[in-house]
Amino acid sequence: MPPDRTAALSLRGMAKNFGSIVAVDAVDLDIPQGQICGLTGPNGSGKSTLFDCCTGLQKATAGRVFAGGTEVTGWEMHRIVREARVIRSFQKAVVLRAMTVEDNLVLAGQMVAFPGFLATFAIGRANRSGVRQLRERAGDVLDLVGLAHMRHADAGKISFGQQKLLQFATMLMADPRVILLDEPMAGVNPVLIERMIANINRANRDHGITFVVVEHNLDAMKALCHRLVVLSRGRIIADDTPDIVVRQPDVVEAYLAG
Amino acid sequence: MGTDRGLRAAGFAGMLAFLLAAPGFLGEYQVHALIVSLTFLLPALGLNLILGYAGMLSFAQMAFFGIGAYVSALMAMRWGTPFWLNLCAASLVAGIVAVPLGFPALRLRRYSFVMCTLGFAVIAQTLAKNWVSLTRGDLGLSNVPRPVLGLWSSGLEIRSVTQYYYLALALGVIAVLAFLALVSSPAGRYMIAIREDETLAASLGAPTWRYRMAAFVLSAMFAGCGGSFYVHYYTVISPTIFDPYYGNTLLVIVLGGGVGTLGGVVAGSFIFVALSEVLRVAPDIRMIAYGLLLIVVVFGCPEGLLPLLMRRLRTWRRADAT
Repeated sequence: MPPDRTAALSLRGMAKNFGSIVAVDAVDLDIPQGQICGLTGPNGSGKSTLFDCCTGLQKATAGRVFAGGTEVTGWEMHRIVREARVIRSFQKAVVLRAMTVEDNLVLAGQMVAFPGFLATFAIGRANRSGVRQLRERAGDVLDLVGLAHMRHADAGKISFGQQKLLQFATMLMADPRVILLDEPMAGVNPVLIERMIANINRANRDHGITFVVVEHNLDAMKALCHRLVVLSRGRIIADDTPDIVVRQPDVVEAYLAG
Repeated sequence: MGTDRGLRAAGFAGMLAFLLAAPGFLGEYQVHALIVSLTFLLPALGLNLILGYAGMLSFAQMAFFGIGAYVSALMAMRWGTPFWLNLCAASLVAGIVAVPLGFPALRLRRYSFVMCTLGFAVIAQTLAKNWVSLTRGDLGLSNVPRPVLGLWSSGLEIRSVTQYYYLALALGVIAVLAFLALVSSPAGRYMIAIREDETLAASLGAPTWRYRMAAFVLSAMFAGCGGSFYVHYYTVISPTIFDPYYGNTLLVIVLGGGVGTLGGVVAGSFIFVALSEVLRVAPDIRMIAYGLLLIVVVFGCPEGLLPLLMRRLRTWRRADAT
């Protein structure tokens, strides 16, 4: 099957082995533009590894990745972010703890405001005007995600849930086309989960950003996603609207077995 | 935060005023000690860049310092080139040499990187000792011309200690300003991000390898400048410059002053060089006392002197406010 070049993200035959262990087993997946696609499955089913292989953090054993019609297979992580505008979050390392909330956002926006390598060595007025614009945008984004009051706090000192919101905000600073979220709601209290869902929906609606969300919280997934894909042992075992998927017997079994 | 910045500006202004006036009330020997401090400041800034900002401990700093010194000395002795040209060439050659070294070294992380840079320092010394036709081996190069401030061969020749001092101070100020511009640029912010979490930095679009290379090359360029001034001041250079003692002094300045801070490294250059000089009153126990004092510093303020001072100041201010 040829890749879908109109899709925001198109995977063909993605596979990743760790020695004799097959983490991802020949996955084909197309995520259309503007979709919010959930990706779930038991622990060790290959969700995070799939993200790693799509974003260049790990080299896939086999398979190809296309983003908006461009093949990005084998690209380094920073290049996939810069040129294909596919950005991801992490489960654990969420924010740069030693920097302020605002500086985290400025850092993430730098690739937009100072696109060339040499441009990042800008001093004087070029530096100040670029950074001033980024601070203004950071203010807007913080208002949007509801962290405006934390602007000058050290990112390491705000709560874990707030760090996850901040991480979401940093990704918006980078003007992405596709956002891959790795467990954005794990360890986050219900109020902030509500806010996270609202933020994802708004970014999707207002900026047309495509989302792939790895998450175990099935209630949140039902509320959020247009589509739910279930992985088990590195393979896709279900792919439909969330309401239908959660009633599939093999999905229920995979979860119980997992 | 704003008051911290004001405090920092005031600290630097006060220090600069003191340094500008220093030859007026200090003896020649003390001024010489200040020159030594300023000479160490340049490679220390380089080490601070690569260790404090990009998060990599490099023992190659003194190798680049030595390369800068030899390049400067050879140019001045063979071709009679002016000081400014020697300085630029020393910095440039050190930076250029760093590129091919960076290719293998920057593939490594943490301890492997440290070991690799240690290897460079050893190789540099061996080359300086054995490439006799160029370096005269262990004899070293002597009678290196004094710096001449002028477009080519004519101009003001720097002779007196005071003149040397002001030249060193000018270089130090320029280096500090360059360092400040660098670390407050977007590239500096990327370097901090890479130090804190390389994967996260890459996920935000930072080409991490390029910035680590940039930090390595720029740190070598700072060191090369220092070496150039050094050789024109002492007018001799030999392979002993690659001895671990000098490299260790740099580490003490950066770690003891406050790694990742500018003020800490500037203060560290003066404090630790001065300390070493003051202890000359008791030559028998000088190095033992120096070592003991370092241990005290490490226990008293593991992050370095400046971060400790800043925290104290903040606590006092908070106490005043309540």
